[in-house]
Amino acid sequence: MTAAILTTDESAGGHQQSDGPNHAGQDISTGSGLRLRGRIPLSVGIAFTVLAIVLAWSLFPDLFTSRNPAAGVPNRKFTSPGLNYWLGTDHLGRDLLARIIHGSASSMTSALIAVTIGVVVGGLMGLVGGYLGGWIDAVLGRVVDVLLAIPSFLLAVIVVTALGYDTRNAAIATGLSAVAVFARLMRSSVLQVRTSVFIEAARVNGGSGIYILFRHILPNAVRPVLSLAVLQFGLAILTIAGLAFLGYGDPPPASDWGLLVADGREHLLHAPWLVIAPGLVIAIVVLAVSRISRWLDQGRNQ
Amino acid sequence: MNAADQTRAAPSRRTVLKATGAGALTLAGLSLAGWAFDSARAVANADSDGEGLTFLINNLDGGWVPSKSAISSYEANVWQQLTDKLVYTDPQGQVSPWIAQSWEQNDDNTEFVLHLREGVTFSDGSPLDADAVIANLDSWARGRPDEGIARVGLFPGSTYDGAEALDDRTVRVRFAAPALSFLPTLGYHGCLLLSPGSIAASVSEQSDLANQIGSGPFVLESWAQNDHVRLVRREDYDWAPQSAGRTGAAAPSGITFKVLPDDTLRASAARAHQTDISYNVSPQVLDSFTEAGFEIEVPRYLGFVHGFRVRADIEPFDDPRVRQAIQRGIDREEILRTVFTSAWEPATSWLQSGVPETTDLSELFAFDPDHAASLLDAAGWSEFNAEGFRTRGGRELGFTIYPTPYLTGSIPEAELISQQLGRLGIRVATQKVDIASYAGHVDNNPKQAFKEVTRSFVDVGTVAEVITDDGEDWFGVGSSDQKLVTLRDRIAGAGNREQRATVIDELSRHVLEEAYFIPLEQNVQRIYVQAPGLGGITFNAVAVPSYYAATKEKS
Amino acid sequence: MSATLSTAESKERLTPVRSGNRSPARRYSTYALRRVAESVLVVLLAYVLVFLVLAAIPGDPVSSQLDNPQNGYNDEEKAQIRSFYGLDQPILVQLALALGNFLRGDLGISLSMSLPVGDLIGTALPSTLVLAGTALVLALLISLALGYLSQRLPTGAANTSVRFLPTVFLSTPNFLIGLILIQVFAVQLRLFNVIDPNGLGSTLFAALTLAIPVSAQIAQVFITALDETAAQDYTEVAVSRGLRPGAVILRHLIRPSLLPTVTVCGLAVGELLGGSLITETIFGRNGIGTVVQKAVSAQDIPVLQATVVFSAVVFVLVNLAIDLIYPLLDPRLRSKEKAA
Repeated sequence: MTAAILTTDESAGGHQQSDGPNHAGQDISTGSGLRLRGRIPLSVGIAFTVLAIVLAWSLFPDLFTSRNPAAGVPNRKFTSPGLNYWLGTDHLGRDLLARIIHGSASSMTSALIAVTIGVVVGGLMGLVGGYLGGWIDAVLGRVVDVLLAIPSFLLAVIVVTALGYDTRNAAIATGLSAVAVFARLMRSSVLQVRTSVFIEAARVNGGSGIYILFRHILPNAVRPVLSLAVLQFGLAILTIAGLAFLGYGDPPPASDWGLLVADGREHLLHAPWLVIAPGLVIAIVVLAVSRISRWLDQGRNQ
Repeated sequence: MNAADQTRAAPSRRTVLKATGAGALTLAGLSLAGWAFDSARAVANADSDGEGLTFLINNLDGGWVPSKSAISSYEANVWQQLTDKLVYTDPQGQVSPWIAQSWEQNDDNTEFVLHLREGVTFSDGSPLDADAVIANLDSWARGRPDEGIARVGLFPGSTYDGAEALDDRTVRVRFAAPALSFLPTLGYHGCLLLSPGSIAASVSEQSDLANQIGSGPFVLESWAQNDHVRLVRREDYDWAPQSAGRTGAAAPSGITFKVLPDDTLRASAARAHQTDISYNVSPQVLDSFTEAGFEIEVPRYLGFVHGFRVRADIEPFDDPRVRQAIQRGIDREEILRTVFTSAWEPATSWLQSGVPETTDLSELFAFDPDHAASLLDAAGWSEFNAEGFRTRGGRELGFTIYPTPYLTGSIPEAELISQQLGRLGIRVATQKVDIASYAGHVDNNPKQAFKEVTRSFVDVGTVAEVITDDGEDWFGVGSSDQKLVTLRDRIAGAGNREQRATVIDELSRHVLEEAYFIPLEQNVQRIYVQAPGLGGITFNAVAVPSYYAATKEKS
Repeated sequence: MSATLSTAESKERLTPVRSGNRSPARRYSTYALRRVAESVLVVLLAYVLVFLVLAAIPGDPVSSQLDNPQNGYNDEEKAQIRSFYGLDQPILVQLALALGNFLRGDLGISLSMSLPVGDLIGTALPSTLVLAGTALVLALLISLALGYLSQRLPTGAANTSVRFLPTVFLSTPNFLIGLILIQVFAVQLRLFNVIDPNGLGSTLFAALTLAIPVSAQIAQVFITALDETAAQDYTEVAVSRGLRPGAVILRHLIRPSLLPTVTVCGLAVGELLGGSLITETIFGRNGIGTVVQKAVSAQDIPVLQATVVFSAVVFVLVNLAIDLIYPLLDPRLRSKEKAA
């Protein structure tokens, strides 16, 4: 998960240095608005298409395959990819494509859960700490330091061990391991907005703390966090796939993508498609998400 | 990323970057050189170990306390090379001389006299004489439970009255009751001969393999936990059993057991010709090895077939019809075709077909989905829920399989069984567990009705010890099944083999008719992928290999 | 948690001290002391946090062994053994005891292997250090190469590809990379020996597996930093002041571009330690990652506790070192100090 933040934070840091207090909410919205109306690069278009396909797989798997992902035709085990089975079959004669398609719902949902946990818990911590400051900020800051100090994949592993092995718990663990980065980003964004001129103005005009928080600070601070969230979504897919690969997700016949790779692994010698196909699907989806996040991020910076 | 700015600082930066690039290239070059060196070394190794064998194994975590690891599927491979046994028991259960050159027994099978081979010594030079044998017998029969040293489970210890030396090379062993299993059990992997010093050692001393002094064809050179055990040939070894087909010192100069926990890596290493033997490679990849010229050994031990023992005290499996339905709902042919290779064979009973007493009872559990469905209907599991699983009173019919980590291939097999029983309306979940957590999920779990059996024995009398609460109570029936109790007593009290064989047949019928045991296939617990050209390997009754006479053909 | 954030953090921590007219050296030592104290606090809190998470694990290997009827322990023996491992104490007492032992350097005893945890870690550590160290070197080489190409190649498809490559590296699951490397280079080309996981060839490929995602992080920061440096005026100013190009490069270009890169390397330590879990599994290495995996499946809490906290200690120490050195290297921070 660590990696994710690089690009986003980079730009957040950039703001702090160059734009400083001038960086008011109004600018941001017009900036990204202009960007969205502008020409969408081809690669971003492809990325959105990839994401749309996977979302469609998750929502309506039966539209894309009529084969049962959990029960196959044992006599057709290890069929190579071809016209009948586009991505071949596995060790029990199950259609790999059907398994990937039916596994996407679980992979996407769990990544979504992870990001939601990261955004909500981390965001709240950053928001409260950044807005209230003082000892609360100090305490929350230490908690964030601690969470950052533990390698995030290790943290996810021990949390999923404590919760029990299934994909939902792996998602929760992944989300918790990402709390710290969201908290940091949210806090720095809040600090930056809080000191800006128009918040001062709102305060002078007698706005209550809560009102200012929700009316002015949150909407402006939330933008960089959302951009990070998109990137984290991709990384959550990777982390959850990693956990599934190590056997900490749902057991077969579930077909989470990481599990598919783990399952296919011992057949790499004679049925390499069982590893390569789901592995590439993970890579392509994460790549698409990263591309979109980068694009959103660039939009924000202009 | 400003293209315009880039040009401004260009000249100087280009120089820097050239310098950095050059630095990077130098470093990369160095790593490449190291890598080339490594490859060269790997090749050199391959040449020089022409005489020695490399054996890749999942783990050697069981430790080296013989009472704990002698019968482990893993450590047994090492013990077999380090130690000898009193007799050799072959895969058909036939007993032939080894350290015991000959023996006599009385008519009741209660008293045995063993005549030991002359000149046998342990690797520390001490003699393997009558006193040493008695020390071993006592330890197998009784152990030292207060010190954490268990007895050998299959040795007829409860009726063991003791052994005495008639002279240096003659031992008399007495039992309180007929001990039909005594002689074959001496060839069992639990009954390995160690020097009296090793036997007397404490558990913590025993856990160091270096303290285990045997009389086998190989001796320890070095070992490291979780990493390797390296054995070298003992040059003065000269007491191999006849079945080995060789005399004198072992053929290979040594054997290196290398721990590589990952199944795929062991398979890859074999395919890359980086090892002579890879242990327990997934059965589903074996065909591709055979095609590439590898030799696959799938020795079968004497013992129980691979199957489920069902605890009949756990709802809803207390209803024999439910158990029978599951027994009839499993398509064993499909399992063999899909998960295993043609080297595997269908079960004919709950005992391996190599056991001399086994009779063909396969019609008692033949695949019959219609019959299975009607049994379930009759048992009241006739409603179906939205997912297509049977229910009764709102409760879904199903169970969880924790595929045994002691059997390679158990995971795809469980998945396939789940598919087959799913068609019948029984939901079977499969949850992968490893050795460390297996006992917690299965043995110590009072709600788990299904447990896979992977158990070897050398003498069929063992079955009496598992069926009731007088022993392991596999089926959770205690002493409530009167017929089991009677059969148990008749087996334990049998005076001769013929008489006992009849009772075994009767017992097997009862166990299968009640579906206490659901056989799957003949158990192959050890799979050896051998490099092309490797020969001279023998397997004993419990499917443990000896590499004493192994030779490598130069290819 | 990017380079910049962390830098910003250090700056933030330096600035409040600016008030008053203490000497820079005095202010630096105050800052250093504060960072050290914070690091100690973080490690202790990490210990507590990990302890509480692990306390939620149901069961432990000792109890499951004790409760196995086949082992035939009676209740008194069970109680004795449980109290030997401290399992009969309330959780907070266990925490206090464990924390006390931890402070004395005692990491406890493995429940599943009956070995001191310190020994277990000590045995596994060299392998992981070699792997992580090699991976870091490889990651730096890859990043340097990518950074070089990003500046060297003219704007166009090739340059865009180079700049896109880190994203590709970051998006590819490292288990996929590892599996393919083994399949191609060990099995097909037989360039390295998989049965000797600690051999140079196997180590290099394992390190490469680990290095690829990490190199992506470093390269992204490095390329951005190079771009930013290229946009600065002071390079030209320096040239106009008559400094030799070599000196300009050394003082004004390399250093500022490498500084954020150094910070991101510190952060990559976490990634290297976490990633070793999967990499070690795939390449069959016996390292910290393998110890963690075994401990997870055996629910061996003391081992998990020690290994996770150990990783946190490594991470904190590396980043502490970087934070302490950073202000001494960063010309911007130094000039701010002078201004104050």
